[in-house]
Amino acid sequence: MTTIIRITLKGIFRDRVFQGIMVTACAFLLIPVIASLSMRQVTELSLTLSLSLISFILLLLAVFLGGTSLWKDIERRYTFSVLGLPLSRQSYMIGRFGGTALFVLLAAAVLGVAAFAVVSYSSAIYPTDRPIVWSTMAICILFDALKYILLIAVAFLFSTVSTSFFLPVFGTIATFLAGGVTQQVFEFVNSPASKALSPLVKKLATILYYLLPNFGAFDLKVNAIYSLPLPFEGLLLTAAYFVVYVGLLLSAAATIFSRREMR
Amino acid sequence: MIRTVSTGIVSLLLYGILILPFTTYLKNKPFVEKLGYVPSVAALKSVAADHKELVAATLVLKVLMYFGGLVEKADNQVAVPPDYMSMSRLLHGAVKLDPYNMDAYYFAQGFLTWDVKQFKMANDLLDYGMKYRTWDWYLPFFAGFNSAYFLHDYKKAADYYKLAGELSGADLHKSLAGRYLQESGQTDLAITYLSTMAKIERNPALKKTYLIRLNAFKEVRRIEIARDRYRENHGKMPATVEEVVQGGLLTPVPRDPYGGTFYLEADGKVATTSKFAFSGVKGNSSIKSGEPNERH
Amino acid sequence: MNAIEITGLYKQFPGKRMTKVDALKGLDLTIAAGEVFGFLGPNGAGKSTTIKLVMGLLRPTSGRAQIMGMDSNQAESRRHVGYLPENPAFYDYLSAEEYISFVGSQFKMEAALLAQRSEDVLKRLDLWDARKRPMRGYSKGMVQRVGLAQALVHDPDVYILDEPMSGLDPIGRALVKDIIFDLKARGKCVFFSTHITDDVEKVCDRVGVINKGELLVVENVETILQRGVQGYSVFVMNPDGAKEELFIEKAHLQAFIQQSVVNQQSIEKIEPRRKDMEAFFLEIVAQ
Ligand SMILES: Nc1ncnc2c1ncn2[C@@H]1O[C@H](COP(=O)(O)OP(=O)(O)OP(=O)(O)O)[C@@H](O)[C@H]1O
Ligand SMILES: [Mg+2]
Repeated sequence: MTTIIRITLKGIFRDRVFQGIMVTACAFLLIPVIASLSMRQVTELSLTLSLSLISFILLLLAVFLGGTSLWKDIERRYTFSVLGLPLSRQSYMIGRFGGTALFVLLAAAVLGVAAFAVVSYSSAIYPTDRPIVWSTMAICILFDALKYILLIAVAFLFSTVSTSFFLPVFGTIATFLAGGVTQQVFEFVNSPASKALSPLVKKLATILYYLLPNFGAFDLKVNAIYSLPLPFEGLLLTAAYFVVYVGLLLSAAATIFSRREMR
Repeated sequence: MIRTVSTGIVSLLLYGILILPFTTYLKNKPFVEKLGYVPSVAALKSVAADHKELVAATLVLKVLMYFGGLVEKADNQVAVPPDYMSMSRLLHGAVKLDPYNMDAYYFAQGFLTWDVKQFKMANDLLDYGMKYRTWDWYLPFFAGFNSAYFLHDYKKAADYYKLAGELSGADLHKSLAGRYLQESGQTDLAITYLSTMAKIERNPALKKTYLIRLNAFKEVRRIEIARDRYRENHGKMPATVEEVVQGGLLTPVPRDPYGGTFYLEADGKVATTSKFAFSGVKGNSSIKSGEPNERH
Repeated sequence: MNAIEITGLYKQFPGKRMTKVDALKGLDLTIAAGEVFGFLGPNGAGKSTTIKLVMGLLRPTSGRAQIMGMDSNQAESRRHVGYLPENPAFYDYLSAEEYISFVGSQFKMEAALLAQRSEDVLKRLDLWDARKRPMRGYSKGMVQRVGLAQALVHDPDVYILDEPMSGLDPIGRALVKDIIFDLKARGKCVFFSTHITDDVEKVCDRVGVINKGELLVVENVETILQRGVQGYSVFVMNPDGAKEELFIEKAHLQAFIQQSVVNQQSIEKIEPRRKDMEAFFLEIVAQ
């Protein structure tokens, strides 16, 4: 499995994905300029922009690397040669997932360093009223990365049932959008404002709320931007949620994939 | 080869011909159109996914750039009345997305009061912000000023100033709570407020608007002092500003940076035909007809 | 223990509009250790389907396949197998050398041994000069050679090769035959599919012919060749020095030789004339 992880990482690097990230990351250079337009919160704005840029890049990575990893192997017939080795389908799939997830973590770390540079530059030129809490920023980026790793697991689950890349890619994007609003919808459905809704819709919304991943919990941007204290217990719960949910997704994906035929 | 090159050259030519009318068209598009109608906040919230803060910041920047452009035009004496209601709508949307966004509160405070006279709306927004930005003394400072200067609710103003004083640890705001909170202290209150705003403002367009207004109020203050001196000397209120000037109490002659003319109201209160706004000059005729001209 | 054991292997593919395609209809086949087995059949006969089932890439509709006594649905069953897929494709961002060492590590080979074996197979398959280039830039035949190299590198006991000669030039074909001979000499089991009867004739111990999902015959190559002898070409020189080629039926050979002595003809050469493997194959498939 570790060799599969290694091969996966090598593949991502050799496909020049990292260079692509670096080109996109050039946008970091613009951030101080845009942020200086702010009236009262230059540093906050440069944090906002940096964190959003990181999120955006990680989202692209999760959707495209996660959604095409298995599909590409099957499409290009690599699976015949690789699965002809004494390697179980599970460890092959987990290895592919692990490599992709590791790359996302790596990218998040590198982009995090870039964000650190940009924000310290901004705050040196326009000192803030509130001190920046770097550890909060680091944890925010870490949880962002975890969120996208969870999304990769979703993409893998889609990949195991599909023969094209449409379902993995668009299904993953849809899950991402839905996972971002389930909390809002759930709260609305359970509020008095939703009296008009039929009980069936409410039930459906509730089922979806428990079924779909909840990405809201991973979003710590506001804490990082405005140096708000982190909810420690909440983070522990979120981390546990991450582990359990990814475990569920991967075991479902592994079960399906090990039954799948390589035609 | 020659074919592709010539096609390229023709395309470039066409682009050159097209680009000028295209950009002119875009430049002249009215604001609301430029902005597009902002969809409901709930919809924005769902689409923004984990970029709510970014979307909020974008809305604020949009308003800011629009306003900055108008200020520049005003400088060249092209009076364009800003679409304040759209601006307000955008800023309210922004704080729904990111209740911590200081730029939105700060900017809304900038125009909701003097220009739009929506004092209640301004203070409601500030109250909303205070629930989140619990560390920030600016919000209660603004709210205090609004309460005292515009709403004449001195009790509430004192509470806000007290909070601002506690949060900032500066004596100024505590003393504000006491010293100026009466009708006669209004001009000083405004000058303190405007100097604070002008000092912390980094956006050149906005800083300019604050400095202009601050200048106007400094002129008002000068007239007030001269007026009081006149009353001491003559035992009666002067009827016009000119009387005070002729009495040699007011040199140089006060000049309204908004292009209006200062005059004294019946009770001796200093006012200006510009109503402290560039667009106010156009309304000259209505003021001459004896309508009371408020400073706020 | 048998190298490969296939019992009642049945495979259905979903066809167009709810129909089913029977790709394999109850195949029984046993390949002994140390045996070289040729799997012959026309296009679409079910050769690749059989091999993919044995390799656990497909799941049988019914029946089962075993390698070295282990069911094909277990990853461990492939521990002793070198597999060459049909029209193989490998991670094309890797070089041949990297891929070979990846395969070696999957078989838990020791680093030093792996380096040695990797060099051996790359040189043997004439990939040594290209070993550091990414496979993206390889020709079809070169990729086929990588496929053979990665099947050989860990020196397994069983080789399952799906059309090993396809895409190779005559030199390459000869090389593959050579390699199979070598493996045979070293007591390895080779199970390979092909359309080319000539290959089978030269290297195989046994041959199976499959058509439309059914195994038609399994036979010793020796027997087929023997059974196929119909007569002899005899080259004779007449007393006047003129040379002549005559066809003599099997039963008459003895009599002819005796007669030639009488006729003072000298026999230069006798060659058996037989139906070759190709004729055998065509005859069976045509039935
Ligand atoms: N994925 C699939 N879906 C449907 N039918 C299939 C599939 N794979 C193979 N078949 C059918 O199974 C039969 C056997 O195919 P197989 O690939 O095993 O043939 P083959 O003997 O390897 O032929 P070739 O010599 O051309 O490689 C064919 O009729 C083919 O159409
Ligand atoms: Mg085939």
